[in-house]
Amino acid sequence: MFELESSEASQEAAGSAWLPTASRRTFLKGVAGAGAAVSFMSKSAWANGEIGFWAKDLPADKLTEMFNTIVRIRWHERTMVDKMITDPKYRGYNHFYAGQEAVATGVCAALNNKGSFDQLDLVYSTHRPTGHAIAKGVDMKKMAAENDFRATGLNGGYGGEMHLSDKSCGFIGADGMIGPGHVIATGSAFAFRARGSKQVAVVFGGDGTYATPHFHSALNNAALLKLPFIYVLENNLYHQYAHYSYSCPMKDIADAARTYRIPGVVVDGQDVFQVYNAMKTAVDRARAGDGPTLIEAKTYRYYNHWGAPGAEAGQLGAFGYDPLAISSFRPEREVRAWMQRDPVDICRNILVNWGVLTRARADEIEAAAKKEAIDAFAWADKQPFCKPEDGLKNVFVDGVVPARQFG
Amino acid sequence: MARKSWMYAVLEAVQYEMRQDKNMIWIYELTPPVASTPGMPVINLEKEFGRKRVVNTGIDENWMASCVLGAGLAGSKAVTYIPYQGNCMCFQVIQNHAGKLRSMTGGMASMPIVFLLEMTGQTPGFAGQHSDYEIDTYYAHIPGVKTVVPSTPTDAKGMMASAIRDPNPVCYLYPAGLRELMEDVPNEQYTTPLDKAAVRTVGSDITIVGSGGGMPEVLKAADLLQKQGMKVETIDLRCLKPMDTETLVKSVQKTKRLLTVDQSYYTLCPGAEVIARCAENVDGARFKRIAFPDAPPPAAPEMFLWMRPNADHIIAAAKKLVG
Repeated sequence: MFELESSEASQEAAGSAWLPTASRRTFLKGVAGAGAAVSFMSKSAWANGEIGFWAKDLPADKLTEMFNTIVRIRWHERTMVDKMITDPKYRGYNHFYAGQEAVATGVCAALNNKGSFDQLDLVYSTHRPTGHAIAKGVDMKKMAAENDFRATGLNGGYGGEMHLSDKSCGFIGADGMIGPGHVIATGSAFAFRARGSKQVAVVFGGDGTYATPHFHSALNNAALLKLPFIYVLENNLYHQYAHYSYSCPMKDIADAARTYRIPGVVVDGQDVFQVYNAMKTAVDRARAGDGPTLIEAKTYRYYNHWGAPGAEAGQLGAFGYDPLAISSFRPEREVRAWMQRDPVDICRNILVNWGVLTRARADEIEAAAKKEAIDAFAWADKQPFCKPEDGLKNVFVDGVVPARQFG
Repeated sequence: MARKSWMYAVLEAVQYEMRQDKNMIWIYELTPPVASTPGMPVINLEKEFGRKRVVNTGIDENWMASCVLGAGLAGSKAVTYIPYQGNCMCFQVIQNHAGKLRSMTGGMASMPIVFLLEMTGQTPGFAGQHSDYEIDTYYAHIPGVKTVVPSTPTDAKGMMASAIRDPNPVCYLYPAGLRELMEDVPNEQYTTPLDKAAVRTVGSDITIVGSGGGMPEVLKAADLLQKQGMKVETIDLRCLKPMDTETLVKSVQKTKRLLTVDQSYYTLCPGAEVIARCAENVDGARFKRIAFPDAPPPAAPEMFLWMRPNADHIIAAAKKLVG
């Protein structure tokens, strides 16, 4: 029955006014006009004067690097989708990040991602981690190998996609659970404050996290203790197969920040520079000892929750009916509407407009990113499989645990 | 009688009880109470009973379990389906409240509630948080809640009906690896006791005890051993608390050899309790348990599948014990 409501809503006029008491049907009307609604919201945050347009002051090489990161994530995701669809030997289970690239890129561009571990800003990620990982500086080859459970993968084949972790760049890691990571991240922030460090702890969460007790515990404790903690909530409208109206009574989840008396900012998650501006403000605030910020990035995933149902090799995005989407089916027009505001295009157009890149240079960068992704998966394919008995390692720091399966 | 999956059989039992009791509620997140099977009507609890009684919540297993407990204390029957990702998020409210309230209120608290806790443990590659098979041990340890783990669609239906009618809180474990198991299940409602193990094969050489997600491999091993001439008595534990000591002891008194099989970690696995009870009551028997090592399940299939007990492991261990 929800499928019917959704498709009806998508055919109705976009950008209808939001009513706090709206039914789910009206709710969908409001979000159906994805592009229009999002740009309006980001303007309202801008008009509040809460964030400055820091991105305009960045040097050209930094801006170019942000474009490079976006296309590297995009082609990593597209290559991984194609791999999953076309290679029966590929064993990875993947949650694709395509469509949300500007969020990870804008956030991590405002962080310290290189140097000794006691200087790095730490990022806690989600079950959809590959974009965050690339933006933070994780090696694409090793990640591809880990996603296929190879012995030389990022985490030795123990973790796989939902547990990717790389201490060398401060990527504490992916997390298959919804909620606990947010609270744990505040613990890192507490340690930074206790030892007088200028580091910040950042957690990515989705729209589904609002419902968890952890969301509120993390923000409340971070606010009470003025911790250097930033909560980046990527609102892609769906947690698994349920629209976020199932779990949050507000249109803007950032409104929750008011409860904790901290800044709550809504940004256009398709525009990397808007994300960067908000993040830079939040990072400066955190480093100055002024406490946490909640950033809600309005964004969208081009693929379904998990795997690649509805996707075709060589084509961006997944369309049509996802057999797993029983609670909320995403209407194809909703997907296509969001793809009109593609984060890669937006970034490219802005940088061309600013005279930072020519279209030809942008194409070169994108071609190199595509090649890097293809090479990474080809390298991963050649990596050795794990040894069975190594499963008894890494339980404690030292030694192995006894095998118990043989009797 | 029709061929039904585990979940179709369960929802059929729930649907029947919800039709009898207009106050009964069902709380879920992400996993809609919908099931179908060839030749039978589609079951959709949300559609049939409406969102006042059946609700899809946000991701908050603590609330789900608490809601069901509160509904029980207020006098309503209630079930929540907690998916495997969150099957320990609700631990505290079951362990510290549901399990203790009857005692703490001097017997006054009413809790006709069921926590349907999904388990995993069957899928290589998910790793750690999505491949573990451990909550049988955790929940069976709690006094004041019954903990059961059916392994067939037929038991799943009968034990769900019993769990809903039971005035005590029941942790009803669903080994999700069995989701594709199909068998003929009666269409009419029936109950299956929550305190009886099931003897699946009768024999006098060895007793093999398993439960839940491990049962298909146990039965496969028993079948192969029997073809080689070993007389195997196979017991499906079904009920972890209360545990059917009588059936276990009777069998081991006869066979004098007991092999337990668990997908749960070795330390304190259900088999450890089975062995302890038999050791207390049977003289001169030999015991062995096989289980998942005391290690989080790694992602790589090479490691995970080597570590998880399978029919080959069971056959080798049984031969060692009998030979």
